[in-house]
Parts: sequence; structure tokens; C-alpha cells
Amino acid sequence: MSEAVIQIRNLSKIYRDFWGRKKVQALNSLSLDVNKGEIFGLLGPNGSGKTTTMKLLLGLLFPTDGEISILGKSASDVSKNEQIGYLPEESYLYRFLNAEETLDFYGRLFDISPAERRERTNALIERVGLQHARRRQLKEYSKGMTRRIGLAQALINNPDLVLLDEPTSGLDPLGTRDMKDMILKLRDEGKTVVMCSHLLADVQDVCDRIAILFNGELKELGTVDELLTEQDETQLLTSKLDAETIDELKAVLAKHNADVRSVTHPRNSLEDLFLKTVRTSQERPGQRYVPSAGDGDSAGGSPEPPAADAESN
Amino acid sequence: MTVQPVSFDLLDGLIQWLVVFAGFVATFTVVALATSIPLYGVSGPKRVISGAMRGLTDFVSISPRRVYAIAMLAFKESIRRKALLVFVVFAGLFMFAGWFMEGDAARPELHLTNLVAFVFLAMTWIVLPVVVLLSCWGLPEDIRLRSLHTVVTKPVRRNEIVLGRMLGFSAVGTLIIVLMAAVGYGWILRHVPKDVAMFCRVPVYGSISFLDRNGNPQEQGINVGDIVMTRSFIEGGSKATAIWHFPISHEVDELKIESRFEAFRTWKGNMDRSLRVRFTLVNDEKDLRVPLPAYEVNEFRYNEVLISRHQEITDEQTLKKSEVDLFKDLLVPFDPQNEVHRKLQGDASAGVLTVHAQCLDRGQYIGLSPGDCFLRLTDRSFAVGYIKATVGLWLECLLLVVIAVTASCFVKFPVAFILTSSIGVVGSFAYGFLLEIVSGKQKGGGAAESVYRLITHMNETTPLPENLFTKSIVAFDKPLVEGLGIVRYVIPDLSHYGTSEWLAKGFDVPWNGVLLPAMAVTFAYFLPCLLLGYFSLRLRELEAK
Ligand SMILES: Nc1ncnc2c1ncn2[C@@H]1O[C@H](COP(=O)(O)OP(=O)(O)O)[C@@H](O)[C@H]1O
Ligand SMILES: [Mg+2]
Repeated sequence: MSEAVIQIRNLSKIYRDFWGRKKVQALNSLSLDVNKGEIFGLLGPNGSGKTTTMKLLLGLLFPTDGEISILGKSASDVSKNEQIGYLPEESYLYRFLNAEETLDFYGRLFDISPAERRERTNALIERVGLQHARRRQLKEYSKGMTRRIGLAQALINNPDLVLLDEPTSGLDPLGTRDMKDMILKLRDEGKTVVMCSHLLADVQDVCDRIAILFNGELKELGTVDELLTEQDETQLLTSKLDAETIDELKAVLAKHNADVRSVTHPRNSLEDLFLKTVRTSQERPGQRYVPSAGDGDSAGGSPEPPAADAESN
Repeated sequence: MTVQPVSFDLLDGLIQWLVVFAGFVATFTVVALATSIPLYGVSGPKRVISGAMRGLTDFVSISPRRVYAIAMLAFKESIRRKALLVFVVFAGLFMFAGWFMEGDAARPELHLTNLVAFVFLAMTWIVLPVVVLLSCWGLPEDIRLRSLHTVVTKPVRRNEIVLGRMLGFSAVGTLIIVLMAAVGYGWILRHVPKDVAMFCRVPVYGSISFLDRNGNPQEQGINVGDIVMTRSFIEGGSKATAIWHFPISHEVDELKIESRFEAFRTWKGNMDRSLRVRFTLVNDEKDLRVPLPAYEVNEFRYNEVLISRHQEITDEQTLKKSEVDLFKDLLVPFDPQNEVHRKLQGDASAGVLTVHAQCLDRGQYIGLSPGDCFLRLTDRSFAVGYIKATVGLWLECLLLVVIAVTASCFVKFPVAFILTSSIGVVGSFAYGFLLEIVSGKQKGGGAAESVYRLITHMNETTPLPENLFTKSIVAFDKPLVEGLGIVRYVIPDLSHYGTSEWLAKGFDVPWNGVLLPAMAVTFAYFLPCLLLGYFSLRLRELEAK
């Protein structure tokens, strides 16, 4: 068992109104650990307490009950922030600053030399793909660009622990893919990542371990493989077979008492199709989808029929 | 016409500040400890103490780099929100204001007074509201939009946020004031009549005492029937005398006394000329009296009397003439035991000069207040006075920023704005009144009593009838008035910041009596406000509610 970066014990949070009356029980006795170097996913429907958990970890909210240890410090200890990067749910940034100024401002809040700060600013703007908009004020940014600069801002101090609240919300599939790749890269760099999301595909693609929250209670916790592998089924993927071969195979399987449940052609996900379409049109601009004569219901915008996609995970 | 500034004792002020500050800290600590027990049980006091210790470390480890970053952010925010547009309003005002400001040809120097007063009035009423608006708006908006969330998840201490905001908005205020002051100065130069000399008097005030018509010492002269006695009067053609003692710092070839006395005629007399006054330089120890030539009181302006260092006197008995030296023969050395000398403000290292003033017209009176007669040192340039007056406004702006930012750490924008403006208005216009109520000098009692008097049409000087009802009214008022006594320490006395009045009246802005206390008040508020704002931000969940 590797060392725990975050330890949460019996954490509860009750939101109260101005008069101290109970409004919402957002978290109920949550206990979990996040280990060093993993990507941990907090999964749950809207309002299940994911954001609340993150804010409690950061000391933005005060727990009603329970204990938090984050990087070995208490949540209210400001100095822990030196090693933490946080991407808020909506990118709560200053809309009157441009990308460079934003990174420069947040960089100044850390003990980084001016030269280093400039270097990191440039590198991060490049990393999140905002070179073209580096001098534009954030109020002109689209949602996706705001997410990107939000991520850059969270990485300005080269943190050991990154907390990402709905990192892919509002991003198009291309942006989502980029974001996921960037998250995976963070793990490769040895950082610990905690992300929360209600988008199941995102969590499935990147997370090592997940916790499922519902109504502030922990419902499920484990590695993605553990939780998702159907232990009593096996899937076989081959190149295209003709009907005879399939029958032959079925006979062999029947001999071994296996129960053949389905035989189909695999289908690509819409995500894969979309990504492929966009990439090819980037490579060959100007090419358009032309409906073939009398065939108005041809699927997709791809110039070629979809083939098996090597990029799918 | 002029009010002599009250000298400010920095050490005394500091001690008083420490006492009040310690009082508030002690009160907060006791309240915090007392409330922590029902909230957290026995561990409550421990939490309070460890919280206070953490506060201490936060203050010790303030980082100038982070404070600067936050200050620059507040500055940029204000500029990008077009705060400087107010400057356009200001400039626009000046393009047209000149049309309406016709001077009086007979009294051109009054025109300068009006111009100066107008420029500072415009600056005050444009800069202060704008800066207070910005300062009250920044933090609550930051909390509402949750942009503060991203900031506080960096290693920023909350006191750095408060301090940075204070500095940032102060920088905005400074920029606006500098720009406006420059425009205002140019405008004054353009509109001031050619024949008006622009300068600032540098007065040395003395202490005043009186002799009545029979030559007996008195604290005050005569009241000629004014309700508010700003001036004491002395009777002409009698022994009635006004006596000034002036501190003299060093020897010069010529002293200038400037005076502005009021004439009060009990009979017509000679209408072709004004009342006559004579100054006499006196050294009681050496029994030496040097009468200066009499002069006519110039009623609505001022008189200047030049005293050269060497004076000729004639002995009344022997008619022998002799020469006296102002500094060698007339000054008495400063004597710390002397009651009168001790009252003097200013440097008396060369000695103390005694000047007697008498009215020469029998049955007529001249009125004088302590500030009506002063030694006038070498004048300062108008520009220097203008800068000093601007500094006064600037200090007021800083104080309001400090208060506004602190208020905005607690409450939302509208409440913070109303709170800060109220403090500003009460502090500038009603602080004296507040003191009078608290000290019981104000007649008519507290809130309930004055309502009772209003309803029953009872004069405020009439004693209340003795019955249970009136007693309960007075009892009800007592805690209110005492509460005001505390408010008095919370609300700053902004009257110190009226620096432009001195300039408008042709005086240098006094350092000790005006600028120093203004600075002291600003600094006095800074630290407690920073502390309050810090604890508010730290103890609050920065959630938009
Ligand atoms: N500031 C707040 N005041 C009151 N209730 C809140 C506040 N923030 C969140 N909640 C409530 O707490 C619960 C959990 O919210 P949240 O943690 O934001 O959920 P999630 O991020 O999983 O969508 C919700 O019922 C939400 O309405
Ligand atoms: Mg959320």
C-alpha cells in the first residue's frame, strides 16, 4: 500500500443559513484515502457532495464534523497550498485579466523567481493550447478556453497534488480528449490527481480508483478494473470472420460448455468517430461531406467509412 | 476669521490610541472566550488561543510579494472597470465652472479663495465617493463571483488579501488625486486675476490674556452681545489691553505682525477713519515699554505691522532718546516654570516676546480672538501650500479606503457602502456634535428625551418634570448615550482633514496642528482595521450566501 496523500475520516458537512438553521446535509460521515501518484475519481450525480468535499479539503469550507489530513497537514493550514493546484468547478478567475496576466498573478502568490514565473507561464499557455489567445481578456473566452486557463492556473506552482472539479464540464469532445490526456500526463509526472465528475466516460478513461457518492454518502470505492470487470464473462476480438468460421468456433465453444451470448461487429463510439472526423479535416481542410446520389441518410461526416480505430483505449 | 490650530501631542495621542486599542482587543478576547465555551465546550478557549496564535504568525509572515500582487490586482481591476472615467467628469466640470465664478473686482484676493475652495470641494466630492465605492465593491464581488476561492487556495494569508486590497485602492485614489490636483492647479492659475499675489502665510501664534479697563488681569475680554462669543472685546481709551506672548525661534532683522481685528462702535465717532490700535512691545522684567506707531484697523482685511530689530525710545521723564534691540533687550528667555510660557506652542529658543494691544478711541471696542494676531514668518509659495492641502485630502482618502475595505470584509457591498459613507459624513460634519452629546454638553438629553421634548413642546433648557415616566425616559437614554461614547472611538474625527481651508484663506497648512494629526488618525485606524478585516475573512466561509 503506497502512502496516503489525503486522509478523510468521518467527514460531515451541514450547510446552515445565516441564522444557523440547517439547510442541507451535504456530506455524511465520509471516510476515504487517496494514495500518492494515483488519479482518484469522485463520481456522483449533481448535488451529491463532490464539490463540497473538495472545498473542505482546501479549507474553503469548515467541516461540521470529522478530520482531514492533506499532504500531512490540516485543511486550514495555508502552507499546504504551496503544493496544491486547484481547478474550481467554474473557472473562478478574474475576467479583466488576460491569460498571461492571470498566470503571472497566481504565480506571484507562490515563491517562484520572476524568471521561472515567466518561463512557466509560457510553457503552460502552450501546454493548454492557448497561444493564440494569450493577450485576450478572459471575459472574451469561451467556456472551453476558460477551462484550459483554469487548468494552467492550477499547475503554475508545479503542484504535487492536483484537485480538479469537473475538469471536462463544458468542453467539446476534442477538448475533453485533450483534458483527459493532460490529466494522464500529470500522473506520468508523478503527481496525485483528485478529480470529480458526473461524466462517467471521463472517469472511466482516466481514473485509477473511484469513489461513488450519493446524497453525501460513500456508496462504492475501488479500482476501476475491480469495479467494472465482469468476472464471469470473456470477450474475444478478432479480425472479420465469415459465417462458417463463426459456426465452427461456436461448435468448439459448445464443447467447452461456454454459453455464447452475442456475436456482433464491434461499433466505434461516437467520440472516436467525432475525433477522427475533426482530425482528418484538420489535415485536409476544404474537404466536405457530399451525400451520394439518392442516399440521404448516410451516417456521419467522415469521408471514409469508419474503420477500426487504433486510438481507442 | 482664523482659528488657531490646536497643537497635536503625538505621544499623548499614541498613548490614548494604545489604551483604546488594548481596550478593544481585551473586549474581543473576553467575548470570544466566553462564546467559545457554549459552542465548543472545554476545548473552546484552547481553540480561541490557538486561533489568535495563528493570527500572530500570519502577521509575522506577511509577504510583500503577495501583497503587491493583490494590490496590483485591485488597481488593475479598478482601472479596467474604468474608474478613471470620473476624471472626465471632473475635467468637464472645470471647462464650464469658470463661467460661473465671477470675481469681485474690489476684492480680487477673495476670488483666489473661491477658486481654491471650489477645486478642493470638487476633488473631495468626486474622489472620495468613487474610491469608497470601489473599495466597498471589490471584496464582496470577489466573494460573490468566487474568484476569491481561486486566490485563497494559493498560499495567501487572509491579512495579505486585506492589506493588498487596501493598498491597491489607495493607489487608485492616489492616481486620481494626483491627476485632479494637477488639473485643478492649472485651472486656478488660469482663472486667478493678474493682480492677486499667490502665497501662503506661515503664522506663529502666541497665547493671549487680557487686562480689563482698570488694569486687572482677566482671562477674557468683554462680550458685546454675541450669542457665540468667538471674539473678546477690549474697551478703547481705557487700561483694557490684550496681551500676546509669542515664541521666537531665532533672530531676524524684521518681525512682521499681522492682525485682523473687529471694530465695534458704541457711538458713531469719526466715520471717516477706522478705530485706532496701538501695539506696545513690553519687557516687564526690565520695565521696558516700546510703543509702536498707532494704526487704523482695516476691518475686512488685515493689517501688517513691521517691527525692525532696532527701536528708538524716548524716556518720558528725561526725554532722552535711546536705542533698544528687539532680541537683546525685549525678549525674555523661555521659562519652563512660567504658566504663560508653558502654554506656548512652537519653538521659543530665542525667547518670548510680549506685545500689548490697546484701542485708542474712547468708548469704542475692538474684538479679537487668539488667532487674530500672529507673527508672520517668510511666506511659503502657493504651490507648496497646494501640495500640502492635497496631502490632507489624500490622507482622508486613505482612511476611507481602509474603513471601506474593512467593512467589505464583513458585509455585502450596499451595507458596506452605507456604513462607510455614514462614518465619513458623521466624522466630517457631526463629530463635534457627537462629542457634545457624549460629554453631556448638548442640552435636551438623549434620543427618547428629545422626542419627549418635541412632543410636549418643551424647551431644551427647561428641566424635565420629576415623575416616573421622565425618569424612565432618562434611564432609557443612558445606555444609548454611553453607547455613543464607544462609537466616538470607532468614528474618526475627520475635521483634521479640512486642509484646503487653510490654503483658501491664504495660510500655509500647519504641520503640527493639522497634517500631523491627520496622519496620526489615518495610521491609528489602519492597524485595527487590518486586524478586523483579517479575522473576518479567516473566520468566514467564503461562500456566496
Ligand atoms: N453554499 C451552499 N449553501 C447551501 N447548500 C449548498 C451550498 N453549496 C452546495 N450546497 C448543497 O450541498 C449539496 C452538495 O452540493 P455539491 O457539493 O456542490 O454537489 P456536487 O458538486 O456533487 O454537484 C447540494 O444539495 C447543494 O445544494
Ligand atoms: Mg460540483
